[in-house]
Amino acid sequence: MIHVQDLQFSYTSHPFIADINFTVPAGEIFGFLGPSGAGKTTIQKILTGLLTGFKGNVEVGGIDLRKSNRDLYERIGVDFEFPSLYEKLTGKENLKFFASLYKHHVAIDPLLESVGLINDADKKVSAYSKGMKSRLDFIKALVHDPDILFLDEPTSGLDPSNARVMKNIILQLKANGKTILLTTHNMYDATELCDRVAFIVDGKLVALDTPHNLIISHGASTVRYSYISEGEEKTITTALDKTGTDALLLQLVKENRLSTIHSSEPTLNDIFSFLTGRELQ
Amino acid sequence: MKPIVRSFGMFVRQIANDGMLWGVGLAPLLLGVMIRFGVPYVETVLSGYLPGNILVPYYQLFDLVLFLMTPYMFCFASAMVMLAERDENIAQYLAITPLGKKGYVFSRLYVPVLLSVPASIMVMLYFSLTVWPTRHLLEGAILMGLLSTVVALLVVSISRNRVEGVAVGKLSGLLILGLVVPYFIESGFQYLVCFMPSFWIARYFLDGNILFLLSALVTSLVWIALLFRKFSTKLF
Ligand SMILES: Nc1ncnc2c1ncn2[C@@H]1O[C@H](COP(=O)(O)OP(=O)(O)OP(=O)(O)O)[C@@H](O)[C@H]1O
Ligand SMILES: [Mg+2]
Repeated sequence: MIHVQDLQFSYTSHPFIADINFTVPAGEIFGFLGPSGAGKTTIQKILTGLLTGFKGNVEVGGIDLRKSNRDLYERIGVDFEFPSLYEKLTGKENLKFFASLYKHHVAIDPLLESVGLINDADKKVSAYSKGMKSRLDFIKALVHDPDILFLDEPTSGLDPSNARVMKNIILQLKANGKTILLTTHNMYDATELCDRVAFIVDGKLVALDTPHNLIISHGASTVRYSYISEGEEKTITTALDKTGTDALLLQLVKENRLSTIHSSEPTLNDIFSFLTGRELQ
Repeated sequence: MKPIVRSFGMFVRQIANDGMLWGVGLAPLLLGVMIRFGVPYVETVLSGYLPGNILVPYYQLFDLVLFLMTPYMFCFASAMVMLAERDENIAQYLAITPLGKKGYVFSRLYVPVLLSVPASIMVMLYFSLTVWPTRHLLEGAILMGLLSTVVALLVVSISRNRVEGVAVGKLSGLLILGLVVPYFIESGFQYLVCFMPSFWIARYFLDGNILFLLSALVTSLVWIALLFRKFSTKLF
């Protein structure tokens, strides 16, 4: 559905986005993960045809972005990083207007209902809270039932329960066969939602795999245990695959002397720091 | 076509909801009444005290200012709406809908300019002080429309928000200077403002030389070409 080959782009004369290559098959949720300023939004803007003047080949939904992208816009839905709404109009008026630009659109009320905005539909957007605006902005990208979705940090600024609702909608969209490109700072979201994630740092793609493979291939799980010895608590960390040869651990188990024992799997966050030497945020 | 119609509908709706822009829309009519009835009245009063015609030699200049007013105000309103939509990230959003960047610029800028052509001709038919042949009316409406397009591009390109936009819009009223200069400065100094399309427009209607018409066209188009890139990156 999305095909990017040797993508290069810069706002200035210094090189910035370079050597980006990836393909997203239909029906996949593909994640962009990376620190602030890495170029995630920039790449999304290129893929939606907002930024022109890039080098390389970009194909979205079988349409070459260098050629006319009129038909493309009937088929893609975009949720920007920041809300793009008419503040002086109500939530419903906003959706109605944007829906009217497309050849086909879906019913507005069920959409409002799905994110809990039906009772605020006739309020002006200027009276909405930040989270309400994010939710309205998100469903605005769905009014024309697009095949391909570009979501730039859709859950940022949402409380946990609304974030949950939105993530469920995203998973439902995937179940309905949509292709989704999702940007996030949140590695838990990335692990839960994405079939594959791309780590972006300084305009480069530094890793690309399923969250599972990234975690398995790059970090060993560990076991941490503690026990009391001579009146003091001692803590030891050992690799999960070395527990069978850890004589002290085996002895403690045999003698029932462990006071605590935990295993810990590396998170996508740890892998990210490991691969890039940087924190996600 | 449908996205452009809807988008233009939203443009009109925003203007209708904005008190200041109502004023902007009415300004050409007010100026028309003032010029049509006020100027000849002042002339009769003045000629009671002074010998000869006082304002009559400048009747054509009054007409030119009036002619400019309609497209200028349309374009000012267009720039204000575009600035507001830029601040709300809406211009960018519309660019990724079937409207597209081109459709957006068409519905926000070109449609108002095109509508200003018949509108400014109507204003002139009702309120002008001198007689305008049809050909001059058409040429004038097109030239004033292009000149006003330059103003809209300028306002959007260099202002960071609506407040600055209003300031830049007022400042761009200095363009009227270009209309005035040929009537008051006969020496070569008048060419100091030759970069202004308005200067060539006034020269053209003063002596009808087709070269001045071409100069007005060329200066407008050069300005549009120079500003368009900045305008576009600013919006999207
Ligand atoms: N319109 C622009 N003109 C010039 N530079 C820009 C522009 N937009 C972004 N940049 C620069 O490009 C870089 C990448 O920005 P981008 O918005 O793509 O980052 P991001 O990965 O989305 O970050 P975040 O996680 O904070 O959203 C930044 O250094 C930013 O300053
Ligand atoms: Mg971003």
